[in-house]
Amino acid sequence: MSPTEATSPAETTAPASDIELSGISVRYGTAKAPVTAVADVSLTVDRGEFVVLVGPSGCGKTTLLRLVAGFQQPAGGTVKVRRKVGVVFQQPRLFPWRTVGGNLSFALARHGVVRTERAARTEELLSLVGLSGMARRRTWELSGGQQQRVAIARALAAEPQILLMDEPFAALDALTRERLQEEVRTLAAVTGTTVLFVTHSAEEAVLLGSRVVVMAAGPGRVIDEVPVPLPREATTDVAALRGDPGFAVLRTELAAVTRDAATA
Amino acid sequence: MTLLKDTEQGTEPAPTTAAPHTGRRTWAGAAALRWTALRLLALAVLLAVWQAVVAAGVWPRVLVPSPGDVWHAFVKASTVHDGVRGFSNHLLVEHLAVSLRRIGIGTGYAALVGIPLGLLIGVVKPLAVVLEPAVTFLRTLPPLAYLSLLVIWFGIDESPKIWLLVIAALPPIAAATAAAVRGVPADLVEAARALGAGPVSLLLSVRLPAALPEILTGVRIAVGIAYTSVVAAETVNGVPGIGGMIRDAQRYNQTDVVIAGIIAIGLSGIVLDALFKGVERVAVPWRGRV
Ligand SMILES: Nc1ncnc2c1ncn2[C@@H]1O[C@H](COP(=O)(O)OP(=O)(O)OP(=O)(O)O)[C@@H](O)[C@H]1O
Ligand SMILES: [Mg+2]
Repeated sequence: MSPTEATSPAETTAPASDIELSGISVRYGTAKAPVTAVADVSLTVDRGEFVVLVGPSGCGKTTLLRLVAGFQQPAGGTVKVRRKVGVVFQQPRLFPWRTVGGNLSFALARHGVVRTERAARTEELLSLVGLSGMARRRTWELSGGQQQRVAIARALAAEPQILLMDEPFAALDALTRERLQEEVRTLAAVTGTTVLFVTHSAEEAVLLGSRVVVMAAGPGRVIDEVPVPLPREATTDVAALRGDPGFAVLRTELAAVTRDAATA
Repeated sequence: MTLLKDTEQGTEPAPTTAAPHTGRRTWAGAAALRWTALRLLALAVLLAVWQAVVAAGVWPRVLVPSPGDVWHAFVKASTVHDGVRGFSNHLLVEHLAVSLRRIGIGTGYAALVGIPLGLLIGVVKPLAVVLEPAVTFLRTLPPLAYLSLLVIWFGIDESPKIWLLVIAALPPIAAATAAAVRGVPADLVEAARALGAGPVSLLLSVRLPAALPEILTGVRIAVGIAYTSVVAAETVNGVPGIGGMIRDAQRYNQTDVVIAGIIAIGLSGIVLDALFKGVERVAVPWRGRV
């Protein structure tokens, strides 16, 4: 996170890594009764990579994202994050004293977007998540899925270079989920955003990830990595990819691996 | 009669404005009507018991006047008769208005100082360590205890009265603000930090608005405390002022005027509290949703 660690992209030959976790362990609880949530996890995410974390509930996926976001200190190991981070949390976490548009302009203002441009940018972001014309609505008047979409738009408003997403689509209906999966996949391809994405769905993991990292619980650790050799160009037809036979095979494979992880 | 009408207007529409749907509004309207009827009934019972006690002659009439006596005192204090203007040369409403103005100014200054102070106490640990005991100390003092000091320092004009009300109203506002700022959900603070909010914008754009519902409650409590303190503030040179009026009446054993004054304070307090709740509903509609 510190500016001294920033590398100038032009000079570096090998693709610089955006996130480096090495030998990470995280403990919760009191000094007397510590609970090891994560033990000895190392994970490197290269610039522009789309890494998906899967694993049983409680294996430390959220904990890893919190480390990268800087909300959590490791008990051991080092965390390096080299570009600007944005977060979509497991819950929407909207500011109830602001309208939907107000939540977005908060992010835009922090990002340095001038006041006169915020309204247009807000409307753009809302239409991206399928909520055109909702800028003046109160956040608590929206459904859970709508709130989560506002949260996604708010995170994107700050144009993060590293996007952390914690089961962002879990609360959405199937249609909206598919649409947003396609949006995020395309966005990452077009902007070169590095994404670290948590999901419970093998299908979502294979569709979105360039690499899937499988974790197991007790204590949380990485047990497997599955590369996803599917096309990742900005022009890739994501909808067609769902029907691709290669996609189906990968999905079935990953589902088997995660089943093993749950019992590992 | 004017006062009674005021309270009815003050309390009746309040529940109906809260209901968002027309269907619920009529239902809420009917319920409000029923509750108002119950209140009036309770009031009638109270007056009847009071009248019965006086009629039984248990205590001398000078000590316990009848409802009629109090009503008479009330009317006398509210009108000009035989060239005499109300009580102590001021109408009751004028006494009340002067006191309300003191309460308003006192609580206003208290909020102006107390909210920033509470914010600082809430976020700056060393300040909390020093100032929190001081605020608690002030809060436990009865206003009459420091009135003498204020009179010595500031004389007997307006300033010691305002000072007293500020000192009485400030601690609850500062304490409520500090507690509210500390209680802001870490989730929201993290969300703001993830969007690049620095310490200043975290404090002013996240902690302050998130705490606003509780801050307003603190101000409402402070108004109540200022109300209970205003009589103490007006014990020295308090005329015009409802507390001064009550003290003058006490000096001449005019129990009926004392009771009329007490009722005026209480009723205006109810109206003000209802107004305040309305303001809260409009100003912080997200209350309970953070
Ligand atoms: N604040 C906390 N205090 C104590 N223990 C915690 C805390 N947060 C998480 N844990 C523990 O750390 C472990 C990992 O939690 P984490 O939230 O990272 O899991 P997860 O993989 O995100 O699970 P899920 O899929 O259910 O979201 C769990 O055993 C959890 O009980
Ligand atoms: Mg989680």
